[in-house]
Amino acid sequence: MYIDSRCLYFQKPLLESGTLGAKCNTQMVIPHLTENYGASRDPPEKQAPMCTVHSFPHNIDHCLTWARSEFEGLLEKTPTEVNTFLSNPSAYAAAMRNAGDAQARDQLERVLECLDKDRCETFQDCITWARLKFEDYFSNRVKQLTFTFPEDSITSSGAPFWSAPKRFPRPLQFASSDPSHLNFILAGSILRADVFGIPIPDWAKNPKKFAAAVDKVLVPEFQPKQGVKIVTDEKATSLSTASIDDTAMIENLIARLEDCAKKLPPGFRMKPIQFEKDDDTNYHMDFIAGLANMRARNYSIPEVDKLKAKFIAGRIIPAIATSTAMATGLVCLELYKILAGGHKLEDYRNTFANLALPLFSMAEPVPPKTIKHRDMSWTVWDRWTIHGNITLRELLEWLKQKGLHAYSISCGTSLLYNSMFPRHKDRLDKYSVDVAKEVAKVTCPRTVAPGRRGGAEDDEDNDIDIPLVSIYFR
Amino acid sequence: MEHDDCKNNIVHRLSGLRIDMDEEELTAQETALYDRQIRVWGVDAQKRLSRAHVLISGLSGATAELCKNIVLAGVGSLTLVDPRPVTEDACNANFLILPENINGGRSLADVCCESLKDFNPMVRVSAEKGDLMQSDGEFFNKFDVVVISCCSSKAKKLINEKCRKRSRRMAFYTVECRDSCGEIFVDLQNYTYMQKSSDDTAECQLDFPSLEEAISIPWMDLPRKVSKLFFAMRVLDMFESSKERNPGETSISDLPEILKLREEMCNAQSVKDYDSLVPQSLLERLLAAGTKEHPPVCAILGGILGQEVIKAISGKGGPLKNFFYFDAADGKGVIEDISKPHAG
Repeated sequence: MYIDSRCLYFQKPLLESGTLGAKCNTQMVIPHLTENYGASRDPPEKQAPMCTVHSFPHNIDHCLTWARSEFEGLLEKTPTEVNTFLSNPSAYAAAMRNAGDAQARDQLERVLECLDKDRCETFQDCITWARLKFEDYFSNRVKQLTFTFPEDSITSSGAPFWSAPKRFPRPLQFASSDPSHLNFILAGSILRADVFGIPIPDWAKNPKKFAAAVDKVLVPEFQPKQGVKIVTDEKATSLSTASIDDTAMIENLIARLEDCAKKLPPGFRMKPIQFEKDDDTNYHMDFIAGLANMRARNYSIPEVDKLKAKFIAGRIIPAIATSTAMATGLVCLELYKILAGGHKLEDYRNTFANLALPLFSMAEPVPPKTIKHRDMSWTVWDRWTIHGNITLRELLEWLKQKGLHAYSISCGTSLLYNSMFPRHKDRLDKYSVDVAKEVAKVTCPRTVAPGRRGGAEDDEDNDIDIPLVSIYFR
Repeated sequence: MEHDDCKNNIVHRLSGLRIDMDEEELTAQETALYDRQIRVWGVDAQKRLSRAHVLISGLSGATAELCKNIVLAGVGSLTLVDPRPVTEDACNANFLILPENINGGRSLADVCCESLKDFNPMVRVSAEKGDLMQSDGEFFNKFDVVVISCCSSKAKKLINEKCRKRSRRMAFYTVECRDSCGEIFVDLQNYTYMQKSSDDTAECQLDFPSLEEAISIPWMDLPRKVSKLFFAMRVLDMFESSKERNPGETSISDLPEILKLREEMCNAQSVKDYDSLVPQSLLERLLAAGTKEHPPVCAILGGILGQEVIKAISGKGGPLKNFFYFDAADGKGVIEDISKPHAG
């Protein structure tokens, strides 16, 4: 989309193409002839809603997405947050106070956990952490979920809560004799140790000794609580649930964090881990596959082996030479047309092909949308130019002459003027280029001011998109 | 779960080209190198590829692209046949040969063979001397896939018949690129393959006519809107064969004779509006081009044909039946099914 906006601005042709396995597509974007790339959007990729991934998975992809997300949170994001805090505690605290929301609160809780309750100093600590994580993920959370929403729950509309595609989960009972349970703990402990810079003892690789160490961990009893909020709204994009005293809690957390930091050895830092799927010896895929499969077990979803898990979690784009070659050939043909010049819209071709079926579909590009106003018409490719160092007021007047009542003027992503804000009245008599320099912080090239996009209404008070306005101020 | 796997396995063995499948796994090296494409067609298809033997005769821009694609895909072996010397013309569209190879004494096959080895050391690429027309059935028995280009229609039909006579099922293709037009022909005889739909995989069966059968079908029996390239190529084939010219050995000065031939052929086929069926403008383009190929069109044809070969070897995915035409002038790529409708 950025490239599209630059091509729009500089009026350059854009030859877009892509492949996905045996599928390929080409799209021609020619200034003044076709619609721009951003004019039509692909249907958004179907991403599982957050609540599905977090509480109501029904296939292994959901479990793997969750596993990948937990891996990154526990082993990369939180340790990075911790280091940010430790590098400059007061700046960090200020940023959190400034944000003051539920997400900041959750973040602080995670950082505090790492440095206080869950801080690891020995390998046994890491084993404890991993064992308790198992209990939390695959037993306690499930118990809490099914306590809040029992098997016979009904929704507000009277239908059963746990109807398809939701799957009713059951908690796992940890057993060190189960190799899949034990492997989860092993991978978790090792990665936790890596993150804290704790060396891995040799006996860890001995299953009997390791199992014995795991069994030593004291696992507290769990009682599900009343009134726990669990997000069920498919459209929710965040899991943080706001509460009225977030600000107070944030203060409290900051104080406890600062206390903690004092007790740490000087120069203490964590070692964030970046997911590396191709190293078979680093336990990354073992942990992710373990997380995903145990979760799948909770929800009675068929489990997958490490290789399959790698394929899915690795998010790698499948690629083959044949569709690539075809797409390249098709784009070259269009490039020759552009270089030759003089070709009409109808001469260009957009293509979609799927070599696996096989299917070939060619079409002419679509012309840009034309906007009409009074006796003028324009498309997204057109520009209005004004020569002279004009003020914002003069710019508004110029637009008024065209029968356009502009209510906002922006430069790039910065707002220069909006009729709603009383403060902006002061700007009206300033030179447009100066306001742009001040607010948008742009350094203007010698003669052309960056295009202004105006938000305007026409004679009938309908919102109308107007072309970019270029001001030649020198 | 297990029973289904078993069933799928058996069905799979019966489909495609029945490539010899011992239980050997891919090596670690192969799995790593072919990682991105295994995600497209699966480990099983990759294994079949690694045991497949492909013969390509006639090295042009289009077949050079095809060679590149299937060598990168990791076929077991690729055998090249083309005794012609390297000429300046050949360098225009064939990226496997360099100007320094011109008149260097080695054949097109030899030079291309060497370049292709660099693309994938795991594929056995070799050049075969000798005339394919003289080769016996035994020779063809070695191959799972045969692709013919740069030879007369008569030669293509002959080799097609030789392939069809083998007891081993073979995939046969022809490809030509002239000017910025292309033609691909596919003959998989009677072919079973696995077709994936949204829920499951089903077994499908298709019957392909031979090249001779396909081009013998009376023109009046073909659907109205069959690509004009089909007819134009038939006229060109007939012209070259009657004049004993090499394929593409034409020029614009041949136009008057070709137009006469067009009229004769259309009359023989009871076609009245011959310029509508075989436009003069199209014939002019093809004549003037001779053997010249437009490189982007070579890439398009090589990509499509490459995928067809891979599908035939793996037995997965619907094959192209049975002609494909591309013309950069209208930017259209069409599949034409030129076969006798099933009786009954």
